[in-house]
Amino acid sequence: MTWLGKIIAVHSYKGGTGKTLLSLNLAATFVKQGKTVCLFDLDFRAPSLATLLNVTKGDYWLNDYLNGTCEIDKVLVDSTDRIHNGGKLFLGLANPATEAIRDMSAKDRKWEMRALGRLLDLRNSLLNARSLDYIIMDTSPGLQYSSINAIVTSDLVIVATTFDKSDVDGTKRMLRELYDLFEKKTEIVLNKVLDVPTSTRQESMQTRVKDSYHAPLLGVIPCFCDVLRAQGNVVFIEDKPEHPFTRILDGMAKEIDKM
Amino acid sequence: MLGKRPVQVLEKIKESLERLNDKIEVMIEMQKHDHKDMGLPLKDAPLDVMTLLSMPDHLRKTAMTLCRLGRATADEIAQQTQRARAVESAYLNQLVIMGYLKKERDGRKAYFYVERDGKG
Repeated sequence: MTWLGKIIAVHSYKGGTGKTLLSLNLAATFVKQGKTVCLFDLDFRAPSLATLLNVTKGDYWLNDYLNGTCEIDKVLVDSTDRIHNGGKLFLGLANPATEAIRDMSAKDRKWEMRALGRLLDLRNSLLNARSLDYIIMDTSPGLQYSSINAIVTSDLVIVATTFDKSDVDGTKRMLRELYDLFEKKTEIVLNKVLDVPTSTRQESMQTRVKDSYHAPLLGVIPCFCDVLRAQGNVVFIEDKPEHPFTRILDGMAKEIDKM
Repeated sequence: MLGKRPVQVLEKIKESLERLNDKIEVMIEMQKHDHKDMGLPLKDAPLDVMTLLSMPDHLRKTAMTLCRLGRATADEIAQQTQRARAVESAYLNQLVIMGYLKKERDGRKAYFYVERDGKG
């Protein structure tokens, strides 16, 4: 039987748009809602989840799974204890060692083709066999092999973007020349928005985003100093359950659930 | 000879006709889509995402569907893409000629797959 879990790739054109913050907190929000979630760090050029979540020991990394030297079970780190009163959270981490980063950036096209196959296999080995609700893939910005592999594998692409002009232009191009070609369902998250939108402004923003990107707006995240101040040291939605950021993530998770 | 094993001989003829049909379908589709843009046939070309991106739309759809299914017949691909079986068969055979896919017969069915790690 095919389980109805979803694979979500969180991507952006530029770096620093908040992909990792969004991926981690979206995963945590789903777990809070009782879901079983697997969060993957596919940013092999600049791995960050291992550091953010203080996972130091790793016998096996996602790198090893993609290299075909182990199965996915060996890579997964059960991090359910990070989120209280919820479902389950598993992590698949990218190896942050310099040698591993160098190794991953020197892979050839045949390796990337096999890596795509290994990622596609996760639908059976994780979503279906383990009845996972979501696999969330945090990716490298721009047109990196690992990111495009994640996009091809996914059911939904969440594009984190800001109002930075070069980011807007690049995101538009990516929507047209990448996601559309792969016929991917895409949702936009506007991050680091300076003026907190009122409900009327949010509606006009929705129209602006739709006109500009030809893709629906999943959510608007204002620039919260509290979030910046946390410096990624905590799972924000777990640490601050009453914060507006947490409520916004909760709304996004519910929207995705309905899709 | 025909008197001894008529069924086997007819099966062989049918198989040959099917192969011939595959080739004709590919030629027709390649002409429709201006085959000059599709490059020369390659041997064991990797079907990576950059290759998928550079493919014409009609072939990308077929290749992507096969990537997702792993191994499939033209019928199974057609069910997913909502296009005619004959069209998918032509695209799949074209991708085989271009070196991106492998094809093997299992009885009367032809299966297509992406070769990874030297196996299907």
